[in-house]
Amino acid sequence: MMTAALEYFQFVLAPQMLIGLVLGVAVILVALGLTIIFGLLDVINMSHGEFYALGAFIALALASIGLPFWLLLLLVLLMMLPVGYIVERGLIQRVFHSGERHVTTLLLTFGLGLVMEDAFRLAFGPNPHKPATPIAGAIDVFGVFLPLYRLFLIAGGAVIVALVALVVYRTRLGAMVRAAAFDRHMAASLGVPVQHVYAGAFAFGVALAGLAGVLLAPIYSVFPTMGRDFILMAFTVVIVGGMGSIAGVIVAGLLLTQVQAISSLYISPVWSDPIVFGIMVIMLMVRPQGLFGRLGHG
Amino acid sequence: MADALTRSMRASHVLAAVLVVAALIFAAVGAAIDDTFYLRLGTEALIFAGLALSVDILLGYTGLLSLGQALYFGLGAYLSALVLMVTPSFWAAMGATLIAAIVVGAIGGFIANRVRGVYFALITFGMAQIVAKIVYNTRALGASDGLIGVPVINVNFGIASISSASPVGFFLFTLAFIVVLYALAAYLLDTPFGRLLIALKANERRVPFLGYSTVTPRLTAYVIAAVIAALSGALYPMLRGFVSPELLFFSTSGNAVITLVTGGVGTLVGALYGGILLTVLKSVVGSYTEHHLIVIGLLFMGAVIFLPRGLMGIVRPAVERWLGGKVVP
Repeated sequence: MMTAALEYFQFVLAPQMLIGLVLGVAVILVALGLTIIFGLLDVINMSHGEFYALGAFIALALASIGLPFWLLLLLVLLMMLPVGYIVERGLIQRVFHSGERHVTTLLLTFGLGLVMEDAFRLAFGPNPHKPATPIAGAIDVFGVFLPLYRLFLIAGGAVIVALVALVVYRTRLGAMVRAAAFDRHMAASLGVPVQHVYAGAFAFGVALAGLAGVLLAPIYSVFPTMGRDFILMAFTVVIVGGMGSIAGVIVAGLLLTQVQAISSLYISPVWSDPIVFGIMVIMLMVRPQGLFGRLGHG
Repeated sequence: MADALTRSMRASHVLAAVLVVAALIFAAVGAAIDDTFYLRLGTEALIFAGLALSVDILLGYTGLLSLGQALYFGLGAYLSALVLMVTPSFWAAMGATLIAAIVVGAIGGFIANRVRGVYFALITFGMAQIVAKIVYNTRALGASDGLIGVPVINVNFGIASISSASPVGFFLFTLAFIVVLYALAAYLLDTPFGRLLIALKANERRVPFLGYSTVTPRLTAYVIAAVIAALSGALYPMLRGFVSPELLFFSTSGNAVITLVTGGVGTLVGALYGGILLTVLKSVVGSYTEHHLIVIGLLFMGAVIFLPRGLMGIVRPAVERWLGGKVVP
């Protein structure tokens, strides 16, 4: 009896949970940018999935001229920052001050996403590209077969999340960001350059998405609509965790991907999407503010 | 003395009449040269204009952005296809769609109206995604293939009947149908109920101080929008002979929002012009390149930034001036 349960865990449950964990870390990276942008700017970035794809495509283009994967991680991050900064200053700020900011910024970023997605198709074609895995091989973890790259992804993702949390909660820069999220006018009058904080936060958010794109490309391959399915999960995580909450994203991201991974053991995996969206709708109904409080609040 | 809203709606009606005249000329030319393709395209444009109209009732009047209107459009399309495959009766299909739209709309409205603003957009989006994924995975509803083989029907009016296989006949019928939906929406929004919706958009907190409930009108507006979307969707299988799960996807809801914002939010007639504008643009740009999304996306972004009131934001004030009276911008 005991051995049967142990074997069930070792050969059925544990591998599934590890697959869920890889997805969870990936979703957290994407959702982190989304939640920072919402928490600070009050903007629902509908083009976030396309920025995720942009990171992957930049990496694809750079890899084709022979740059090593590890350099790409840094380069994509550095290239995405100015892109995000320009998008915030040049596009989002134009409709930011209208009365219905939620609607107008949502529509604008939705349009931007459409343009970007079609531009990827124009530049790279509609077919998926699969970059080579930067770390080959696999190891046994408690008898579970695990590719090394996925292990690296879990560890690397955790480091990135920890760094982001450290910056937001433990540095002067993070204090400015939280101050601007709490009360932008008061923050501005105390000398916080709110305009740059906003643009910088947006740039940082989309750069995180781009970084996730590079990291995940060897696993999920690169194609123009790659952001679409992924972003739905990220939105759900942000809503369940609490829009604008960093802790919420981490908790909800791990929780939801585990629900998805474990539930697909017992019911057909095609139903995991309706289950996840069902959780999102129920959460919006009973507790629209999510599990945790917003960035800069409470 | 007519107030500003009545005057601007009068301008909307004039523009709707212009559209009908243009559509009649289009139908006459199409019939004369025995065209099928463009008449079918025009019919489809009108059907999707009906969907955009339903988004306008929510966004333009109640101030709620729905990102899941495809739920009701798809509901109408699937239900109409199922009914027609059992019994090829237009009225049975429409009756079933109407009842289902009221019931599902009431349930959806109850769920969605618990939240406001950006959460409303996300909850409507989530609900539509759930239904889309379920339909996509349900074998009985054709799963990813959709339902094919919807029979050609005759729309029977007692004295005359129109076959859905006749390009010009069905175009004219759809035109009449959408104009009736437009007129119904315009009438409803001109009643005290409609004014209440506008008041809700302007300031929801103050409405209860005037002695009105905010729950009932919001729910009613949601159900009306659901019914309009579903009835428009019910025409789709009659035109194309099939339904596919794409009708329920986010791209359908998103396209309706693009249509409306480019045409002009809060004008009703903007939905109709937007539907035609986008369809024409898609087929014109589409004949040069398959990347029409870039053009439409840029146009949409341009509209959001520079023309928040859409095409009607330029055209309608001009019509108002022409009709006389002072224009309040």
